[in-house]
Amino acid sequence: MSYYFTILSPTDTPIFNIAFGTSKGGGDGIARFRFPDTAQYMNQFIIHSSLDIVEEAQWINGGMYLKHIDTYPPAAAYISAFLTPSGARFLLLHQPPQLPSGTSSGLGSSSLLGSSASTTRASSSSVAANPTSPQTEEAVRQFMNEVYESYVKTAMSPFYKQGMEIKSPVFRTKVTGAGKKWL
Amino acid sequence: MLHTQAVFSLIIINKAGGLIYQREFQAGLRKLSTNDYLVLAGTFHGVHAITRSITPKIPLAPTTNSPAASPGTSTPAASSYSYPNPGASVSGLDYLESDKFRLTCFQTLTGTKFLLFTDPMTGNVETIINKIYDLYADYVMKNPFYQLEMPVRCEAFDRHLGAWLRGRT
Amino acid sequence: MAAPPRHSSMMATNAGAPQSGANDRQQVTQQSLTPQPTQGLRVPSNRKTIYDRHLNRSRNAESSRASFAYLFGEMVTYAQRRVTGIQDLEKRLNEQGYPLGLRLLDLLFYRSTSTSSSALSSSSTSSSPPNRPLRIITLLHLIHGPLWRLLFQRSADALEHSVSPDTPNEYMITDNDPLVNTYISVPREMSMLNCAAFVAGIIEGVCDGCGFEAKVSAHNQPTEMWPSRTVFLVRFGDSVMEREKVLERNGVK
Repeated sequence: MSYYFTILSPTDTPIFNIAFGTSKGGGDGIARFRFPDTAQYMNQFIIHSSLDIVEEAQWINGGMYLKHIDTYPPAAAYISAFLTPSGARFLLLHQPPQLPSGTSSGLGSSSLLGSSASTTRASSSSVAANPTSPQTEEAVRQFMNEVYESYVKTAMSPFYKQGMEIKSPVFRTKVTGAGKKWL
Repeated sequence: MLHTQAVFSLIIINKAGGLIYQREFQAGLRKLSTNDYLVLAGTFHGVHAITRSITPKIPLAPTTNSPAASPGTSTPAASSYSYPNPGASVSGLDYLESDKFRLTCFQTLTGTKFLLFTDPMTGNVETIINKIYDLYADYVMKNPFYQLEMPVRCEAFDRHLGAWLRGRT
Repeated sequence: MAAPPRHSSMMATNAGAPQSGANDRQQVTQQSLTPQPTQGLRVPSNRKTIYDRHLNRSRNAESSRASFAYLFGEMVTYAQRRVTGIQDLEKRLNEQGYPLGLRLLDLLFYRSTSTSSSALSSSSTSSSPPNRPLRIITLLHLIHGPLWRLLFQRSADALEHSVSPDTPNEYMITDNDPLVNTYISVPREMSMLNCAAFVAGIIEGVCDGCGFEAKVSAHNQPTEMWPSRTVFLVRFGDSVMEREKVLERNGVK
């Protein structure tokens, strides 16, 4: 599973983004998207196109975590959204690995070793297995909540104004850590 | 009895001797003109300064001088005089009493003076003055519209002062 | 502060990283994930950045009323410099409060999500977080109750809707004795001024942050009992009123 995470300010300015891969089930935490390296803008493209749906959903559902809200089937990209009360939007794009071939062949072969091993791996990495399962929703919620905590701390800084890019390397580390822990 | 607790009036003098606040708490007091109040404040300020500088010093007990020193040369230097209680600061005029009223003076660390006119029978004048100083610190010094050393025109100070004095009687 | 030798050798092995002033070890590992320009990062000697501190430690972290009064007094004095009039002064105070409102909103929700569970990291599903306000009434209740308690440790005293049919977009929040005005006496020649314009700015920030465009102003309405009684007039914009109608039709609460 590969992830692309973006924070958008209330006025639609991207203020933070990061790409990472799963660390569950032996993942190395490196993003491997299905697009060639030259087409990484596709992530931003897909994630921003879901904004319309976020804006519709935000006045129907009063929760902060809006769960999985959009899918882009051609790229098997799933998008989950989290809204802070002050209008910043956290968007997470997740893309399951391409099973038949490609970079994840190492993982695929290890799952063929034995059925018992594969089942334990499947339960521990259920997040990666099914992007719309309740476990995934819950894991994303935990991830979002943890990022929200760091975001609030950023917003509290007297040197930070709403809508400014978040440049703090500590914030980035915190998001990476949350990704490692939950996704 | 109401009269034994009476507080007649309050005057606040800034550190330069200017009158910055004057208020009466009892009806039927003889009024002075504004100018006379200013003179009163200035005069008191001067008298207070004089009383402080004439505070007498007493000679220190001679600390076993060397016997060689002849009696004629032992005119004591200024440093061998001291105030009776060296620990306490020199305060100057603290209160002034007549058989009809008592004037108590309280000076803050920054030199502002509170003069409180009370009935001579009024007890605990110190508590009253401390409370007034409290109210002054709160409603005058914390007011962003008050300019230091200028006349006090703070409605909240007037209100709280009046309410507190009314509440005590 | 000199870096320990072991640490500096670690930096040297990380060949990809350019000469960096950052002496944070985690910084080094994360650079290998996403290359980005490094900048000097100063970390306190105990290595605790603001990100490592708790946001919920409010029990013993209260500031005294006096220090707030002096601070606010200075803010008013600062705002008074080179103002053209009372309205200009109130506008400046309002602008000082506005960003505070935006921040408080996030903090308020963060605190109310995590009051029951000590930390977010507890894996059990924490109590359901409060909802973002979607309707005007929920927003106003949020301001009247939780926000006021966060700021002043008590609820506001009244919440009213304008009775005039011409101004259905006006709401009033009343505070009988605003904390910010406790020690302030406004000179007679400025009697229209109310320094709680600062609080009005906070309210405006909260409304705007939640997506309710609004103008908020503070007005003196003294009574015999409450000489510094203040009414905060909240005027919502047309877009908000329009959306309110749509949401009402759709049955959104």
